[in-house]
Formats: sequence, C-alpha cells, structure tokens
Amino acid sequence: MMASGSSATLDAPVAARPIRLPRWSVGLFLLLPAVAFLVVFLVIPSLTLLSYSVLTQSAAGDVGLPFSVSGYGRLLLTPAYQRVTVLTLKIALLTSLFTALLAYPLAMVIAYGHSALSRLTMMLVVAPLVVSVVVRTYGWQLLLGSGPNGVVNWALGLFGLGQVSLQILYTEWAVVVASVHVFLPLMVLPIATSLSRISPSLNEAARMLGASAFRAFLRVTLPLSVPGLAVGLTIVFSLTAASYVTPQMLGGPRGLMLGILLEQQVTTVFDWPMGSAIATLMVVIALGAHIGVTWMLNRRRAAVPAAQGEA
Amino acid sequence: MTANPTDLALSGLTKSFGGTLAVDNVTLRISAGEMVALLGPSGCGKTTTLRMVAGLVQPTSGDVLIDGYRVTHIPVHRRNIGMLFQNYALFPHLTVAQNVAFGLQMRRVSRAEVASRVTTALRLVQLDPFAERLPSALSGGQQQRVALARAIVIEPSLLLLDEPLGALDKSLREAMQGEIRAIQKRLGITAVMVTHDQEEAMTMADRIVVMRGGVLEQVGTPEEVYSHPANRFVAGFLGASNFLRGSALGREGGEVVMRLDGGGLARVRAGAGPGGPLIAIRPEAVRLQPASAEAPVENGIPGTVEQVRYRGQSTHIHLRLDDGESFLAYLSNGDEAVPRQGFRPGDRMLASWSSASATMIADA
Ligand SMILES: Nc1ncnc2c1ncn2[C@@H]1O[C@H](COP(=O)(O)OP(=O)(O)OP(=O)(O)O)[C@@H](O)[C@H]1O
Ligand SMILES: [Mg+2]
Repeated sequence: MMASGSSATLDAPVAARPIRLPRWSVGLFLLLPAVAFLVVFLVIPSLTLLSYSVLTQSAAGDVGLPFSVSGYGRLLLTPAYQRVTVLTLKIALLTSLFTALLAYPLAMVIAYGHSALSRLTMMLVVAPLVVSVVVRTYGWQLLLGSGPNGVVNWALGLFGLGQVSLQILYTEWAVVVASVHVFLPLMVLPIATSLSRISPSLNEAARMLGASAFRAFLRVTLPLSVPGLAVGLTIVFSLTAASYVTPQMLGGPRGLMLGILLEQQVTTVFDWPMGSAIATLMVVIALGAHIGVTWMLNRRRAAVPAAQGEA
Repeated sequence: MTANPTDLALSGLTKSFGGTLAVDNVTLRISAGEMVALLGPSGCGKTTTLRMVAGLVQPTSGDVLIDGYRVTHIPVHRRNIGMLFQNYALFPHLTVAQNVAFGLQMRRVSRAEVASRVTTALRLVQLDPFAERLPSALSGGQQQRVALARAIVIEPSLLLLDEPLGALDKSLREAMQGEIRAIQKRLGITAVMVTHDQEEAMTMADRIVVMRGGVLEQVGTPEEVYSHPANRFVAGFLGASNFLRGSALGREGGEVVMRLDGGGLARVRAGAGPGGPLIAIRPEAVRLQPASAEAPVENGIPGTVEQVRYRGQSTHIHLRLDDGESFLAYLSNGDEAVPRQGFRPGDRMLASWSSASATMIADA
C-alpha cells in the first residue's frame, strides 16, 4: 500500500465512499487523448524513421537487419550530398539574417508606432501567411522569371537596364527571396514582443545620460531585444532548412536542398535508409539551431556580471 | 564630484496635449543650489513640467533657461541634466558599475577616469560593494541609490526627480529623503523634485511650488505655504485646515476685525495672508472648552462633537458648527494641559484660537 498515503490515513471511512481516484490520475486522464495522438502519429513514426536510417534495405525493398550506417556515410561523405547540406545551411543562414534585417524596423514600427500605423503594419506583415504557399510561390515565379517574362527583369528593361537580365529564378537566391517573404512575420512578431516589453524610461534614461538616439538604440534597445531576435532567428533558420515547396518550385538544380533530396530518395530512388538519414539530419539541424541559440543566450546572461566595467 | 551651481528659469512654459492645457504659462525662477518641490494633485502637470525641463517633452510655447541660456531647443542628450525616475530605469543588462559608467562613456571620458569616478559615486551612495551586481539583484532602495549615483556622476547642471521614492515603503522612503537631500546639498546641485506627498515636499525642499490644473498656485518656503497659504486650495492641500467665511469690519491696532457669517467676531493679524473672505485656522491651533454662554465670543465658535478619533500623537475631534459646516481640532496627546477626556459625540463645545494662528485667504 504505497499509493496516496496522506489521504488514505486521513479519510478513515474509505469503504463508505464511492471510489475516489487519486488527483494525478485525473490529470493523466485529461492528457490521454493528446498523449495517444502524439505517440501514434509522432513518436512511433519518428522512431521508425530513425530505426530505418540504421538498417539495411533488401533487394526486394524490405528494411531490416543487419544494422548499418551506410546511409549516413553516403550523406556526409559524398561530395555531391555534402554540397546539398552546405547549401541548405547557407540558404537557411542567409534567409534568417536577411529576414532579421527587414523585420527589425517593422517590429519597431509595430512596437513604437501610433496605434493605427502599428496595426496596419502588423496586418501587412501577417498577410503572406493567409496566402497558400503554392500560390505565393507561383507569384515569385512570375516576378523573378528570366528575360522579358519576369516582372523584375521587365521593369529593369523599362529603366533602360535591359541588357542586365538578372538570372534569379532557379537559383538559391530565388529560394532566399521567397523564404524571407514567407517567414518575415515569424521574425517580426517575437522582436516586436521583445521591444514592447522594454520600458520606455530606459531609453529616456540613456538619452538623459548623454546618448544620442542612435547610441541609445545600440547600447540599450538592441541588447534588450536579443531574446526576441534569437527566437525569430531560430524559427526562421529551422523552417528554411526544412523547406520543400519553395526550393522545389523556385530553386531549380542550383537550389537543391535537403528537403528535395529527401523526397527524391524516398519517392524516386525508394532508398528508405538514405531518406531516413536525411530526415534525421534535418531534425538535427533544427534542434542544433535551437540548442545553439539557447546556449548562447545563457552564456551571455552568465557573462554579464562577470564582465568588468567594459568602459 | 562637485557641481557648478546653476540656476534654472521657466518662462511662460506651456504645454497642450491635443487642445487640453497640461501646463499653463508657468514662470518660475530657481536659484543655484536650491531644491524645489513641485507639489499638486494627480494630473496637475508636475511631470509634464519636469519633462519639459529635461527636454523629453517639447513645450508648446515658453522657454527653459539654464544659467540664462535658452535650452528649449537643445536635444535631451546635450542638456547635461541628471534624472531619477520613479521606476529607477536602471539598465537591466548592465551591472551597477556599468550603469553608473554609462553617462561617462557617452561623454568619451577615458577608461581610467571612468573607473575612478564610478567608484567615487558608488562610495557616495554606499554601494561600492555591489558594483558587479545586476540591478535585479538589488532592493528597491539600493536600485534608486544606483540611479542617484548614475545621475550625479556626470556632474549634471540640474538634478530632476520624478516621484523618486514613490515605490518605497514609508520608513525606507524617509531614510532616502534624508540621504538624497544630504547629497544634493553637499554637491550643491540645483534640483527640481516632483511629488504628491506633502510631507516629502516639506522635509526635502527649500521651496515648494503648489500646482493645480497646470497653473502655479503658490511658491514659497515650506513654512510660508503651510502657515500662509494663498488660497483655500493650498491650505487644504498642505495638511488640513478649517475655513470660516466672514466680512471685514475694519482695522483695530494692527488687526483686522471680521464678522463671521456663523456668528461672532474674529481678529486676524493684518498682513497675514493675501486677504480675502475666508479665515483659515489649522486644526492643531484650535482649543476646545465646554460651551457655557451661548453669547458670541471673539476668536471662537460653538459646535457639537460628532466624532472623536484617537490617532496616537493626537486626538482628532470632528465638530459640526451650527451652520452645518464641519470644524476640526487636533488635541496633542503629549500636552498635559489639554483636557482630552470627556469629549463625547453630542457634547456642545466652544472652539477657539489665537489671532496669530488665523490667516485671511481667498476662496479659490
Ligand atoms: N503624452 C500625453 N498625451 C496626452 N495627454 C497627456 C500626456 N502626458 C500627460 N498628459 C495629460 O496632461 C496632464 C498633466 O499630466 P502630468 O503627467 O504632468 O500630471 P502629474 O501632475 O505628473 O500627475 P501625477 O501626480 O498623477 O503623476 C494630465 O491631464 C494628463 O492626462
Ligand atoms: Mg507624474
């Protein structure tokens, strides 16, 4: 008799009562549907996938023993695949940096602007999220198309720059441009939240102590908004690294990312161990970004008291 | 750390927010080394006035002059003014030492000098052992002392304080009042403080500026505004006061004789107060005795006891006069000569005072 000791001893006439469940069992009961859903549709498939990546596939296509890490070996050691991984990381990095640069001023307008302007900016920033990714990506195809068919090149032609026909579509840059567009709100929102939490009197105090508006921003506002910036960078980096539709439609052969490689391996080559290894790598990249940023934030917080008057 | 004493002048300073006047034509001179408290009810424009001096709010019209120089259009960061905020406004990501160093770094002071001046300033507020802590690891009083060190280390020409002690409890607040005042005096910094706590204004300031609705009501030393309030508003805002309406009959030997509307005569020293149809009497100047004769007396008025409240140092007796007005008397509990017992609700009492303790004021 180990269960719920205190209530058992205090409530003497146990038998006289209807069955009383211990308190934790109610919580468990309420959690059950969600837990069951996650186990069936997330945990089991993930574990299956993970196990496939260390098994071998027979000629008939069955995945089974013996254990083998040849999928990882090929993925990490073949130069062609290495290029795909590096390109994926590069596109994710560029996208998150450009998104941050564009998002910061927008977040400032949302956090500090007059209420009407702030709400309008918010609406414009969130708007891309309500358009289907396929429609949006077709839009970018029209805009970025080469020669006179692309709106950007057509417009450049109008201004007498016709000779310089920009080749953007079907390069990694098309993926970066479209990804920045899609993920902008996911960067703006955490930064704006961070900014609006900073007391306005901190900026005023900095100004009164002799800081110009720009220096007050650099020394006070920017460092205090780093948590929001970090959240935005993590989200955008992970989502870009995992994207499939955008590189598929805009990237062409020069925008081959891990997501496309994964799809090819599974649906065209039918190489499940290889596909699983790619999927695992993608999860590791996303987790790595998250852990890395969290670690940097913690280190920064711990470093502040140690730093002797950085004067 | 020393300040070059500077004086401050506000000339016709006005600020309107979308048509409503927050500060209305304020003209005021503050001498070098003086500490002035802006006192008034909520929303009377104290903070707005202070922020116009700081440069954080641009006046609609009028000027701010520091040492005779017009600074109205000089941006905040070039005014060299120190400020204490109610919420301290310490930079949470910087240590105590880095917070104090901030203003010096903005002035591009050399590293060695920053270090020594920060140490001096922290020693002045007795926080040198806390130099490497983050503000979040300090108590409210300690945080405000860091803010004080940060404000004075730049040797500002002015120190502005906007309800700097509003977030502290009573005993700590009193200790900090003394500490801030001592440092301000020692450095000779001209200071303007905003408060709605009249006791704080009286204990800390050389002069008190009473504001109402964006307008200056009275400017004077704590004693002047307390003993000789300019009008009913000031008398009522600084402590409690009794008001009796009457009309002047004439002068008699340096005193003005007034006929009180409630019956009886009162004598008020001529020249005490700005004059007007009201006499103000502080509750602590009132004496009570059982009403015997109903005949009108000089400097006295009969009334009925409504409430007796023991308040420790004193007992507050609330009287109702015959014309329906209320009248308040504070009897000191330390004074053996004053009878304290035997006041019960319903008793008839005669409240009296001396001519010297009454002031004639305007009904505004
Ligand atoms: N930024 C602003 N926009 C519009 N109105 C304002 C603004 N700042 C202050 N006001 C108004 O100006 C008036 C004076 O405000 P102020 O903050 O100076 O009062 P205060 O005397 O400091 O009051 P409190 O004791 O409550 O701090 C108030 O009626 C206030 O509503
Ligand atoms: Mg205020």
